[in-house]
Amino acid sequence: MKIPWSGFRSTSTKLSLQFALLYSVLVALMFLGAYRLSIYEIRDRTFDRMRADAETLTGVYANHGADRLTEHVKALQTVNFENSRIFLLLDQNDRTVSGNILEMDPAAVTGDDVQFIPVNDIEIDGDHEDEVNGYWLAQTRIGPFQFIQGTGDHVGSEVVEALAVALVIGSVMAIAAGLLAGVWVGKITEKRIVDISNTLDRVSTGDLQARIPTSDGASDDLSRVSESVNATLGRLETLLETQQQISSDIAHDLRTPLQRLRQRLERLQSQTQPDPSEAGASLVEVEDIITTFNALLRIAQVEAGDQRARFEKVDLDTVAETVFEAFEPSAENQSQTLRLTRSPSTAMVLGDRALLLQLASNLIENALRHCPEGTTIDVTVDASDGHATLTVSDNGPGIPIEDCERVFRRFYRGDKSRSSAGHGLGLAMVSAIATLHEAEVSLSDNEPGLTVGITFRGLKVD
Amino acid sequence: MRILIVEDDAETSEYISSSLNALGHTYEVASDGKQAFLQALDSDFDVMIVDRMLPKLDGLALVKSIRSADVKTPIIFLSAMNGLHDRIDGLEAGADDYLVKPFAFSELSARLMALTRRPPMQSEPTMIKVADLEVNLIAHTVTRAGQEIPVQPREYRLLVHLMRNEGRVVTRTMLLEAVWDFHFDPKTNVVETHISRLRQKIDKPFVKDLIHTVRGFGYSLHA
Repeated sequence: MKIPWSGFRSTSTKLSLQFALLYSVLVALMFLGAYRLSIYEIRDRTFDRMRADAETLTGVYANHGADRLTEHVKALQTVNFENSRIFLLLDQNDRTVSGNILEMDPAAVTGDDVQFIPVNDIEIDGDHEDEVNGYWLAQTRIGPFQFIQGTGDHVGSEVVEALAVALVIGSVMAIAAGLLAGVWVGKITEKRIVDISNTLDRVSTGDLQARIPTSDGASDDLSRVSESVNATLGRLETLLETQQQISSDIAHDLRTPLQRLRQRLERLQSQTQPDPSEAGASLVEVEDIITTFNALLRIAQVEAGDQRARFEKVDLDTVAETVFEAFEPSAENQSQTLRLTRSPSTAMVLGDRALLLQLASNLIENALRHCPEGTTIDVTVDASDGHATLTVSDNGPGIPIEDCERVFRRFYRGDKSRSSAGHGLGLAMVSAIATLHEAEVSLSDNEPGLTVGITFRGLKVD
Repeated sequence: MRILIVEDDAETSEYISSSLNALGHTYEVASDGKQAFLQALDSDFDVMIVDRMLPKLDGLALVKSIRSADVKTPIIFLSAMNGLHDRIDGLEAGADDYLVKPFAFSELSARLMALTRRPPMQSEPTMIKVADLEVNLIAHTVTRAGQEIPVQPREYRLLVHLMRNEGRVVTRTMLLEAVWDFHFDPKTNVVETHISRLRQKIDKPFVKDLIHTVRGFGYSLHA
């Protein structure tokens, strides 16, 4: 099953679109608010300026008299641009002293408030500006005079219109950018999710080597998910390989003894007088099968690693000593010398005592079995560099360099035939136990002979 | 001996019971944990054989229940599981020994004998004596016919174990577990070589052999 890019139905795209929409609405609202605020602000400033002009004129009249006031009003009219401002100075008889307002309804301006007059209700000296709708009018009493001034509403409108255009263009661009970004982010996320799901699909169809593409340095949530999925897949792959290895191992090493057992049982069945020695031989065969079976199962259990929870402090010296004592007579019987060198300082490791005993036994047995008479086998425990180390070295024939990798595989037996003693599982067990204890296994040339070192580096004894 | 066999597999149960019967023991059979618990409380047995996986009440829970009911009868666990910690779990639950299936009947019977022989000792004796062979458990000395024999520490432990099981067969596996704490099967003849050394010291210089090989079975120390 392959999942194609699902367009707008995908979760991430939908989410980003929703987000972009929300973003657009917010931008529009914000811009509308800015527009309204600007209108009020501009109007306010217009009123302030008119008030300031009225105050200036009041000052001129008080200090310099009516003539200077009239001159000032005239001056204001001449600096007026596009008739955006209109003025009228009336004497006490309501006659025009100065101004560019020719005719208007006097009722349009009463009291102190600023009032609006539509453009049709007023006639001025010159043409009205094209865009003007009306004027904001204010009146001020200056001595015996009445001063009326107005400002065309187009002054504000122009600014506000320019602002509106800017805001509309701005919002459209912002919304478009938001939508695009949303879709883009959605698509990227979507692609990565599709990567993950495609990888898992490949795994489900049996391709355990499939991994999610990851980029170095990325530390977002999807990268972390991808990395942990990849790690899980790696572990699964190893476990499956182990399982497959065990199956083939069982087939490999149990088939022959099972065949022999079958032959013996068939022979017994056909005998009228059963031969007890045949039954005895069958039992030996069964014992052999059980031993191999148990060893394989145990390796599998050790590799599964669940006994780490029960790890405790184990003295590597005691382990080595027990094993040394167990095998020393066997070595002597085979005219070999087994020697033990204890660690000068305590060599504590965190581990499973029973398994460590087996590890040491397997190493020593391996040396005993593969070395000829007269060989010296040294068992050494050391902790001088801070890590507890168990070393078993012999001065026997050693193994070829190219075989170093293979000796830890199940059923490896060097060049000897399958009839040789042992099940070829000893060093595989050593490797499994060492891995469980996060210990390093090293093989080196003892010149002559073989040195196998187990260094407990991983787990710290507190 | 009266033995309670708790085993749900009829064939295994029949195999054990007929073999025990042939050795002159009497037995009762329970095929599930609940039934076994009632039988264990109901009558006196010399030893119980309990399978680890049982219907209704599993073997581990059964042993715990029996022990909390203050029944001190020795119990040996049988298990198809070869888990590394199954043995420890079984012993912690209150069993006295543990045997992994498939097993040879000789191994089971040797272990049963060893369990039932164990006397309810109030205080550890300071001396063990078999014929003219003596072991001082305080001084860790071995003498035969009044003559002190120097032995290695492991040989000493091996000898003491054999003497404590005087007249009984002790299997190779039992010795590996008891003397070396080896819960795996070494390919090398660890037990045989040590027995051989021990014989050199305590049997060879004397007229009568005390350590006897029981072929295909194990060893037995007796006069």
